[in-house]
Amino acid sequence: MITRFRLLISFLVVVCLSATVTRSAQAQEITIALGSEPTTLDPQVRQDGGERAVNDNIYETLIARTVKGELVPGLAAAMPTQVNATTWRFKLRPNVKFHNGEPFNAESVVATISRMLDPALKSENLSYFNTLVKAEKVDDLTVDVYLKSPDSVFLSRMYWMKIIPAKYSADGSFASKPVGTGPYKLVEWSRGERVVLSVNPDYWGGRPQIQKVTFKFVQEPGTRLSGLMAKEFDLITNLSPEFVKRVPKVAKVEGLEHPVIVLNAMSGLTGDVRVRQALNYAVDKKALAEKLFGGHARVDDGQVLSPTWFGYDPNLKAYPHDLVKAKQLLKEAGVAPGTSIELIGTSGRWLKDKETTEAVAAYWTEAGLNVDVKIFEFDNYLKRLFDRQTRPMAIYVSHANPLLHADRTLSDYYLKTGRGSSNADDMLAELVNKARGETDSGKQLGLYHQAVKRGYDNALFSYLVGIELLYGVNNRLDWVPGVDTRLLIKDMKLK
Amino acid sequence: MGAFIIRRLLHGIVIVMGVTIVVFVATRMVGDPVRMMLPIDASEEQASTLRRQLGLDKPIPAQFVDFVGSLTKGNFGESLWQRRPAGEIVRERTPNTLKLVFLSMVVAVFLAIPLGALAALKPGRGSDHVTVVLSLIGLSVPQFWLGLVLIVVFSVELGWLPTSGSDTPWHLILPALTLALPTVGRLAMIVRSSMVDELNQPYTKTAVAKGMPLRRVVGVHALRNAAIPATTMVGWELIRALAGYSVVVEVVFAWPGLGQLAMQAIQRHDVVLLQAVVFTIAIMVVLVNLTMDLLYKWIDPRISFA
Repeated sequence: MITRFRLLISFLVVVCLSATVTRSAQAQEITIALGSEPTTLDPQVRQDGGERAVNDNIYETLIARTVKGELVPGLAAAMPTQVNATTWRFKLRPNVKFHNGEPFNAESVVATISRMLDPALKSENLSYFNTLVKAEKVDDLTVDVYLKSPDSVFLSRMYWMKIIPAKYSADGSFASKPVGTGPYKLVEWSRGERVVLSVNPDYWGGRPQIQKVTFKFVQEPGTRLSGLMAKEFDLITNLSPEFVKRVPKVAKVEGLEHPVIVLNAMSGLTGDVRVRQALNYAVDKKALAEKLFGGHARVDDGQVLSPTWFGYDPNLKAYPHDLVKAKQLLKEAGVAPGTSIELIGTSGRWLKDKETTEAVAAYWTEAGLNVDVKIFEFDNYLKRLFDRQTRPMAIYVSHANPLLHADRTLSDYYLKTGRGSSNADDMLAELVNKARGETDSGKQLGLYHQAVKRGYDNALFSYLVGIELLYGVNNRLDWVPGVDTRLLIKDMKLK
Repeated sequence: MGAFIIRRLLHGIVIVMGVTIVVFVATRMVGDPVRMMLPIDASEEQASTLRRQLGLDKPIPAQFVDFVGSLTKGNFGESLWQRRPAGEIVRERTPNTLKLVFLSMVVAVFLAIPLGALAALKPGRGSDHVTVVLSLIGLSVPQFWLGLVLIVVFSVELGWLPTSGSDTPWHLILPALTLALPTVGRLAMIVRSSMVDELNQPYTKTAVAKGMPLRRVVGVHALRNAAIPATTMVGWELIRALAGYSVVVEVVFAWPGLGQLAMQAIQRHDVVLLQAVVFTIAIMVVLVNLTMDLLYKWIDPRISFA
């Protein structure tokens, strides 16, 4: 009995010791806690948070972005040139190899684009590439990409297209054993537990400092925070604003999410531009950013775009918080105090979605309206958001634009035929459509500015805030996240 | 006894089928999985294409026929969310949940029985009060909160145990404790009250009077008779842990078991995967119930299966 007990004790000691040994060997290794596990590591089928976090380190794109968001050549040797309005020519970076030794060349690009567009793949990413027709090899390191129509967003789209190996991508294990050209390659994916990557010694872009990274999946924000505080994790994603004071270091970036209220400019109470302007003046955006998001949000400048997105208009300023003006405008429009207005929202899909909707309702109530808040379950909410026949008077939505290009935002929410827009403005529609076909980027930017300004003057939305994306970081790790919110390990440094 | 087992297993099949049908219909009536999968601005055309590809555009009865068809082939269909066989995912996760639930039950039983028995020896006195208060705390604390408190104390402050994950046996300790503590509370109360009853029975008084050591009276005679209600409770707790509490505990501790999987399937409207999880858990519940019935007979041979 005693010997057994001793055996047990010595076993425990050995286990503890081995745990310490592994800790000290982690000099160039980091552990990252993600909120969710990748559902697949196939880079084309789906984009979810977990998949992006891992695959952004394994795969690369022809066009990349700097930390500030400028488009630069990635796997392309230079920015592409236009053969004609609907054809772009890429020269490829020579001597690049995939992790399995397969060469990166024109065939890889052709295979990537044709697989993505193949209906059999059932890709959920298709909406990002709906203007592409095909790619054709010119020579080993030159590819032509064909478009349906002139497309101003093309370069941003190519920044979203991860290049896959032509041969290996047909392999059955591609979705669980990804192979890219990136700075890190997959070591293991133990489902439910972790994904481990190690540095790619043959990486064309130089050798990153961090040699090995382990991704863990911790859904509960409080547990992620605890893991960071216990030094189990070096970085945690999606830090809640209320936890900011408790983490060693915060890394933050502008973020992609813009909660906003779409107002019905076509009919009813909100059909009058003065009412819509009043609904803007009534809301204290600054207080919203402070109180609801702990100061980790930025008041939107009268547009549903972030300053780093292409098309952002720096000349616009947010409607100030002015209750007197709001009431006066309502009075001018002949809206009696106590008039009902319907405001639709949802709960649990976006950060503080319900709270934001309710806060806006409270401000509108202050302006003298009787706000009827309806929080719908997500499906029913989506039906209301995208129903083209009956547009809701006012509906909350959180708009994110990972392409960082105004076209997506304007096409969906400004353009009168857009999926979530509520206006009948022909001139605005003309501006948006013209901008998409415009190839001169200076002229294009001018058109976007005009369109965004028109949306501001006509108060198509009750503009709110842009939410910053927060990461909790351990003291030993240095990292400045890029505005495209990619989690790039090669940019991280250990002290 | 063989006939009894067969009869109960047949009951079990009816129960599992019933649960399956209810979950099948209910999950398909609330919400559209395709809309949860696609980016919010995907077009209606894309949504309907994907719906067709996944077979979700068919009427519910036709989908049910498909489902039963795949069941007879021994699988559950392909998970909408992970795009691989749902049965495979469930098989990966099941051992983790079983490990967690059974360890927590063992802990609960080994803590609750001595605690309950100790309290019953001197009802109304100090040790009794301590047990009752501890039990009440145990059974009224929300597990979600308890888990986070244990993490903060043992992982963040003391640094003894890992916060979450499942890499080593150490990772099992906190979640198992969190799952066990409320059970300890409830079980200790049951053991206590049935022990109090038994200790007031003439046979125990006689045994004590004739000079039998108290340890033997309590530990052998009274405990055996008090074991029937406690066994019922353990079975009940086991079922609740498998079918409910494990969800909360596994989510808090990022423990990759069936509970966490059920949660993820619900969040993503993955009806196929959810179906597979519920089906598996229903089978476990039926088996636990059957085992409990057999245990009664073993504990108290007077119980008949007729």
